[in-house]
Amino acid sequence: MQREVGSLPLAPALRARLVAAGFQTAQELLETGPCGLSKEIGISKEEALEALQVVRQACHGEAARTAGASGATRKCTALELLEEEQAQGFIITFCSALDNILGGGVQLTKITEICGAPGVGKTQLCMQLAVDVQIPECFGGVAGEAVFIDTEGSFMVDRVVDIATACVQHCQLIAEAHQEEDHLKALETFSLESILSHIYYFRCRDYIELLAQVYLLPDFLSEHSKVRLVVVDGIAFPFRHDFEDLSLRTRLLNGLAQQLIIIANDHKSAVVLTNQMTTRIGQSQSTLVPALGESWGHAATVRLIFHWDNSQRLATLYKSPSQKESTIPYHITSHGFRDVQPPAVTQNAEDTEMNPRKRPRREEET
Amino acid sequence: MDWDQFDLNPKVIAALKKADIKSIKEILNLSGADLQRLMKLSSADIQCLLKTVSHTLRRNSMLTALQLYQDADHLTSQHQKLSLGCSVLDNLLKGGIPLVGITELAGESSAGKTQIGLQLCLCVQYPYKYGGLESGAVYICTEDVFPSKRLQQLIDQQHKLRADVPAEIIQKTKFGNSIFVEHAADLDTFHNCITRRISLLLTRGMVRLVVIDSIAALFRCEFGVSDSVMKARYLQTFGAQLHSLSTRFRTPIMCINQVTDAVSESEAAQCSCSVVDNRVSPALGITWANQLLMRLMVSRTSQPEQASGVASHHTGSVRTLRVVFAPHLPPSSCYYTVKLEGVKGIK
Repeated sequence: MQREVGSLPLAPALRARLVAAGFQTAQELLETGPCGLSKEIGISKEEALEALQVVRQACHGEAARTAGASGATRKCTALELLEEEQAQGFIITFCSALDNILGGGVQLTKITEICGAPGVGKTQLCMQLAVDVQIPECFGGVAGEAVFIDTEGSFMVDRVVDIATACVQHCQLIAEAHQEEDHLKALETFSLESILSHIYYFRCRDYIELLAQVYLLPDFLSEHSKVRLVVVDGIAFPFRHDFEDLSLRTRLLNGLAQQLIIIANDHKSAVVLTNQMTTRIGQSQSTLVPALGESWGHAATVRLIFHWDNSQRLATLYKSPSQKESTIPYHITSHGFRDVQPPAVTQNAEDTEMNPRKRPRREEET
Repeated sequence: MDWDQFDLNPKVIAALKKADIKSIKEILNLSGADLQRLMKLSSADIQCLLKTVSHTLRRNSMLTALQLYQDADHLTSQHQKLSLGCSVLDNLLKGGIPLVGITELAGESSAGKTQIGLQLCLCVQYPYKYGGLESGAVYICTEDVFPSKRLQQLIDQQHKLRADVPAEIIQKTKFGNSIFVEHAADLDTFHNCITRRISLLLTRGMVRLVVIDSIAALFRCEFGVSDSVMKARYLQTFGAQLHSLSTRFRTPIMCINQVTDAVSESEAAQCSCSVVDNRVSPALGITWANQLLMRLMVSRTSQPEQASGVASHHTGSVRTLRVVFAPHLPPSSCYYTVKLEGVKGIK
């Protein structure tokens, strides 16, 4: 009840008037009552009644929350945070080299941005992740679901079918090799149909639709509580044309980033964005840099840049709070996003496929 | 915008009218805090307003990948493709050109780009059963005049190329009548063409294919090195416009592009064409490449010994069609020839 007037969820103008009239805490407002309040600051009785209702609700909500031992501002030690983060698990990419430089895979509750030239494999990784997020827990996955927001129209369902089929086969091979009961049980429900039916696809044709979709996401995620991955394939495309006013663009992008961070935190899901590359003309030579400008660079927690070296695809971890900067090669095969096989093992590729790469990680986690 | 039709608190509607906010776009362009100030409402009301307008805008647009896969909705079907009129080439592209998105066909001069473009204009007119879209095509020429003589030739020879289609269907289709030719030699004419004239044709359902031959010609003469920012802006506007036409009308857009010699290997790598052997890259750089769904490249096959075995059975030189990038296809290629009756792949 000692809550300050300034912190109440009221209209800013009303708040200013209350402060000007000398009100300091919610308690004082409630004691004054609607009639007094309407006289005191010159608003109609209805408005005063409504304002008091809001105040009462806000105070009540706060009381309930403090009683539940988790206050509005949650306090916890760094150790608790670390334990929480470690317990969360990762979305593996099926490319162990990339998993390694990311520290285990794509992290939940973080924003990961993938930048790269067209055709280098950004969309491929997004589709791979949308499948991998659904791997059952006993196989080292997070058993989640995926939201895929497509702004460029490059989500090809046939390709997802290829990737999902390969992923199911991979899990079947693990199950056959180990004959464990929980594996077999998990495989009963882990099929192509179930994977496809748990990828929720939204097509946004311009930035207005994208903004609207992101406003609706929190409700959607509350309804579908198993979603652990939100992909926005093509954050750059809708924002890179028809913007006369670049400050508006920066503002909208920052707002979007903020909402995505909230979504990632509240719903314990990973957010993966893809960005285009653009040419920056320097003094002596031009270089390729991620699009959308400098300030957007702060939006993502983890930034990956995909590029070509002759005919080899490379992934560089460019920004990460916990891992060091490094570059690894990767392949895109008909099965999806994969490691570059070491040359010695290529003759019996069948064997390497059987050898479950993520087996050790599973044991670490359990 | 008639705010009274929204499911909103009358107080919020009054505030909207008072703040002189006219469209959903305007609301979404403002941040929550700005809206609170402008409309003098509490944050809870603003949250509710944002959710309501977002919901109106998006309706129920969610699809699962399974629904896409099973073709639950005809309007979002990804299985339908536009055939190239040759089973070998269609196999390379897993059925043909996707209906939504910009497909680029790049290659040096005389590699057969225009031939493929013309053939698509005919293929689109066939019934759905034979890989067509039962509609016409627009052909935008930006450099040469439209090769109408060659088109006539192709029309006359259709029965040879499409042995799979019954002769009466070919006879019945008036191919020449549904190809609309536009000439646009400069940027303004082109802009006018894609924003006004083409959307009119598309709205009337008269065409289901747009071929632009070539996109690079528009930019090659008008821009010097110093105008690269201006050029990039034009490319982005055109890309976005073509994209929205393609999505709105489910119409494939085929852009023919020229190539430039790659100055350095890294430059070639930037445009993601891992072709070191012939060292050319599509024109217009990464700004344009960002607008594309898929990129195809054609070239005359340079090493005769590689193709000598096949070439002996075919008249005309052997050419290569290569998938450079596409979200659903691996980088792959096949040979083809251009013959009197049209473009044919070689197994």
